[in-house]
Amino acid sequence: MNIAGIGIISNRGRGVQSLEKALEEGWIPPKDSSYCVSEDIIKDKVILKEARRADNFTKMAVLAGYDAFVDSGLPPEAKKTLGIIVATAFGPHATTFRFLDDILSYTDANVSPTIFSHSVHNAAASYLSFMLQSRGPTLTITQFADSFHQAVILAQSWLNENRCDYILLGSVDQYGEVMKYICGQKLKIADDGKIRPFSFSKLPVVVPGEGSVFFLMTNQTTSKKYASLFPPADANFKKPDMCILDCDGMCGSEEAYLSIKETGALVSSYVPIFGSMLTVSSFNCVAAALMLKNQCHYPTPIQDNPHGLDLCKIHQPAKIDRISCIKYGCKREKREFFLEK
Amino acid sequence: MEENKELELKEIRAKLKELLVTSLSLEDIKPTDIKDDEILFGEGLGLDSLDAVEIVVLLQRNFGLEIKDMNEGRKIFYSVDTLARYILENKKK
Repeated sequence: MNIAGIGIISNRGRGVQSLEKALEEGWIPPKDSSYCVSEDIIKDKVILKEARRADNFTKMAVLAGYDAFVDSGLPPEAKKTLGIIVATAFGPHATTFRFLDDILSYTDANVSPTIFSHSVHNAAASYLSFMLQSRGPTLTITQFADSFHQAVILAQSWLNENRCDYILLGSVDQYGEVMKYICGQKLKIADDGKIRPFSFSKLPVVVPGEGSVFFLMTNQTTSKKYASLFPPADANFKKPDMCILDCDGMCGSEEAYLSIKETGALVSSYVPIFGSMLTVSSFNCVAAALMLKNQCHYPTPIQDNPHGLDLCKIHQPAKIDRISCIKYGCKREKREFFLEK
Repeated sequence: MEENKELELKEIRAKLKELLVTSLSLEDIKPTDIKDDEILFGEGLGLDSLDAVEIVVLLQRNFGLEIKDMNEGRKIFYSVDTLARYILENKKK
């Protein structure tokens, strides 16, 4: 399936150009030990006109999804056969906990129905479908660290079965007070604000992040194309020109990534730009798509290299046909998808 | 006596305006932008039925008042002023 459009909301801004700029600029220190999306980035009075009640989780997804559709240049009629798949690790948990807090504070008889309706996982997908007036299937997938990979497989199935001609495939995750507490309790926060993707440590450090990425996917030939995306079952197992690793510290020990050294592949990881999040695969996927489209290498933002890997170090033109995006889950299970020119 | 009532009404109106802006996520509207007699629903402030439900919750949480009859609610929810008067009268009972 082809990536015909991309929308992205990250701490570095909104839109593909903001990411291209971030990839060229490289790492910048986080604010308050996290990479959060500022309110200014998700302000859009036109697109969010009908979404004043929406929380930041939904706003990030709606803007990224909307931008991906616009970026593809598809005509409005495409919305008749447009499906939506949203991948998220925790859903709108900030709103969910706000709802629970309200039950404790005001009793269940006095909780806000609006907050409740926004606390459900499918809220963002519903808003996106409503805003775009899409007529295809709409679904939210939550499977912890696997959410985006499962969404990729499902998107390919929907397109192959002709359930829809186009799919907005994306991810969204939010950082808030509850996540701050959990990360502080369960994970090791980087003292210097640097995620070190290639340390492959048993106890890796994290810098929590948030944001949303959407891809306009289709099996059809479109005027705009970034790259083709293949889930592992559809891959042809040709050797990739480079591997992008998702090691952001969120899944515990990263020793499993050491196996990449044996392949001798050119390696990179852009997680220090976006921050640690369980759906970070989708953000690395955007970086891969941009490298294939622009035929250039973007330097890996943190280049600490204790295992002597062949790292992608500088921004330069390159002939790239195929990129593998690799993630090892909490039980060392390997997840991979491929992008081709 | 009348003076005290007016003073109290003024305070309730101010509090209501703050609550409406925050609870209903009214973007780009400051509490002071809302006029006392401005129609809340439809052509006035432009609130809708979902906002009406939020106002019911807001009255319960902040003033301990329950509105069960929506016909009664129509008159009460007409403006900030009608809401404030309802709160003042029913708080005193």
